[in-house]
Amino acid sequence: MRVRTRWRTRRQLAGLALALASLAAAPVQSQGPDVDPEAARILKRMTDYVGGLQQFGLDTANTVEVVLHSGQKIQFTSAAKATLQRPNKLHASRVGDVVSQSFYYDGRTLTLVNPDDGVYATVAAPDTLDAMIDFARDSLDVIAPAGDLITTDAYTRLMADTSSGFVVGKSFIDGVRCDHLAFRGYGVDWQIWIEDGARPLPRKYVVTTLALGGAPQFEISMRNWTITPDIGVRQFEFTPSPGARQIEFLPVSNAGAPR
Amino acid sequence: MMTMNKVAAYSASIAVLLFVAVAPESPLGLQLLPEAHAIVGAPVTPVSVAGVARRTTRRTVAVASTTATAQQQAAVAQQPASAPAAPAAGGQALPLGTVVPALPAGCTQLAQGGVQYSKCGANYYRAVFQGNNLVYVTAQP
Repeated sequence: MRVRTRWRTRRQLAGLALALASLAAAPVQSQGPDVDPEAARILKRMTDYVGGLQQFGLDTANTVEVVLHSGQKIQFTSAAKATLQRPNKLHASRVGDVVSQSFYYDGRTLTLVNPDDGVYATVAAPDTLDAMIDFARDSLDVIAPAGDLITTDAYTRLMADTSSGFVVGKSFIDGVRCDHLAFRGYGVDWQIWIEDGARPLPRKYVVTTLALGGAPQFEISMRNWTITPDIGVRQFEFTPSPGARQIEFLPVSNAGAPR
Repeated sequence: MMTMNKVAAYSASIAVLLFVAVAPESPLGLQLLPEAHAIVGAPVTPVSVAGVARRTTRRTVAVASTTATAQQQAAVAQQPASAPAAPAAGGQALPLGTVVPALPAGCTQLAQGGVQYSKCGANYYRAVFQGNNLVYVTAQP
């Protein structure tokens, strides 16, 4: 059975890959009673490191699963590139099974573009990356895949609803030795692979949805991290192509019940 | 800009649309409409951990499988999950604000007040983003 979704899976923000974490190094805190301190330490080392990077770029490979009523599981794949510059610039482009989409955030506005459809939407956005990610999720229902990893308070966000966690062991991702951590959260299990070395970068992240039959997963692999990316002057600014049509975001209140 | 041909071609290539709604009541708020072949997953598979607990927004998501017609699509293309999927096939007028994930076949374009509408049967649609998804909402030009 061949299956397609008509839209980009809604939580796949234009390949918003991720990145970023904490500028303010908060102490390792508020882990649930069952979080292994070593797992918390490794995770926080990553979020502190990524949060301290003033700019970076990376490529990601994303896979999201759907489960048919028959129980058959289908995967959709996309690839994305993302570039981030603190405190408030982000650009991501995604090419995938369902749609190609780009995302621009220049510190003032946020733009979502479907180049193949010739449409884009631009709205005013908060002036920090963290606030923008919250705004996009809460007000637009636009969600950055693995966006948890890129805010300056990433550790706090990741651990807020996490009840347990432990170190699985060492693992190799793309030939790079990593620490493999596993956590249980609210309605989800999640795993993360973090480089074991001087650059504690996230290399893979898996979110397993527990409340859905078949426990579909979202998986993102992160590679080609560059902490000195070639950032063009206009990189984060969107310029409509000729003939492109501006449309609007449907208010979340119209898309569903208020939070 | 998506041409009508493109829209029609694309619409015809997809098929039965199904909905998965996330309601605030349940853990991840999942509710399935009793559509045959409904697909669970993709749109409601969290792509981030943070915010999962906060995300109680009820949402309607359409997923397509392949072989049906644009009419079938339209027939099940309905907005809020709480609303039964009333047939929208043919020229039947839909309430304003109805969201469909793809246009039915045979639409014509109309630009008015700087907004481009697609007239499909008795309905006018305009393109909007619903989250990351490009969808079409019935509107009055």
